Amino acid sequence: MRISIVTLIFILLFSCSAEKKTEDKEFLESLENNASASGVDEQLINSILNQIPSPLEISVILKHTGSVFNSAMLNSTDNASKYNTNFKKAINLGIYGTDLGYTNIFGQSQQGIKYITTIKSLANDLNIGQFFDVETIARLASNSKNLDSLLLITTQNFNSINHYLQSQGRDNLSVLLLTGGWLEAMQITCQTAAKKPTKELFDTIGEQKIILEQILLLFSFYENDANMASISEDLKLLKTAYEKVVINYTYKESTMEIVNGVAVIKDNSSTTIDITPDNVKEIQDLVNTIRNKIIN
Amino acid sequence: MKINLVLIVILAFFYISAVDVPQTCNSESFADECVPKLTTGFNFLKSYKIDGTAKDKVEYSYVFTKGTQYFINLCNSGAATDGIVVNIFDKERNKVASNKISGQYVSAISFPCNATGIYYIQYTFDEPSGHCGGSAMGFKR
Repeated sequence: MRISIVTLIFILLFSCSAEKKTEDKEFLESLENNASASGVDEQLINSILNQIPSPLEISVILKHTGSVFNSAMLNSTDNASKYNTNFKKAINLGIYGTDLGYTNIFGQSQQGIKYITTIKSLANDLNIGQFFDVETIARLASNSKNLDSLLLITTQNFNSINHYLQSQGRDNLSVLLLTGGWLEAMQITCQTAAKKPTKELFDTIGEQKIILEQILLLFSFYENDANMASISEDLKLLKTAYEKVVINYTYKESTMEIVNGVAVIKDNSSTTIDITPDNVKEIQDLVNTIRNKIIN
Repeated sequence: MKINLVLIVILAFFYISAVDVPQTCNSESFADECVPKLTTGFNFLKSYKIDGTAKDKVEYSYVFTKGTQYFINLCNSGAATDGIVVNIFDKERNKVASNKISGQYVSAISFPCNATGIYYIQYTFDEPSGHCGGSAMGFKR
């Protein structure tokens, strides 16, 4: 009888301690287990994840439009200390990744070092810090002639993280990184367009309708996760705003020729984007609201 | 009896070696090899593994942006592309680019995109021996 009571106490103790798991720990576990536990088609998720363009492409577009670097648009590295849950760390890691690409593209490499240090710290907390070699990146950032190598190594680092997470069945963490990165690129583009509205920037914002649809498709796999469901609800509001934006596609056969051993294509297809300044304003306001929830 | 058994084991070993051993494909190293071979001026985006040892096509997708030029190259062990064909299809599955033009294979495609959307990058194999390789994609504006 005494043994039974002792056993009962032990069971109670263990069950109590299990219940006392922090929200943070539970989220980390859900990040690590959710995908496989809920029978999510990991191959499909990986395929969608890999088709989302790098936020670096948008930074290059911004540079190309002649916009000037504005550090005030970025998420301050001082905010990183506020991110005390793994959900916040993961999504803000994506945000800082885009900020790093933006600073690098605009040749603000010294400021980029602050971002890479913050990124490394958040990545360490998420057990993916092994993919960032801060010393090498800092060395490359010290000389503007190394821009190509710097962009290459940082892109490779983020690709490696995504491959690693996908191979570990932690796709949901990849989804958060990607969403954070995309939202930050949207926010920078919208703010740049607000200061200097051009057709190219409006089109870039309009084209993001395609990416948003893919991101929402990704979130649909994680509806049981409260944190992800909350972001998903916000993104659905953004989708409603995007319903007013129309992308018209016309296919016309390409012409191809071989020049110096390369197949050089002339793409005769085209897209046009129907988007008004009011649409852009609505999208910008929503993006700001969602991003502020994430970074604060 | 013992000799017969040994003989059977040896024959079985050779049979398995000849028939059942799957071809290995180190597509990751080919993909890595392709990254520094991107033409100067293109920013690296993705590397793709092409392991067609157990299937007749390998496919990836990516959202291309109007006004951006993409460069996709191929790396493999043989000369030229060893019969590896890379075709790019639009969202409606119309072919918009290929590394095989008039029967001639080349190891790179330069695709200046004029229509934003989801595209499918598909690798197929014209030669029975060349089912393994890697590829990298870069972009410039």
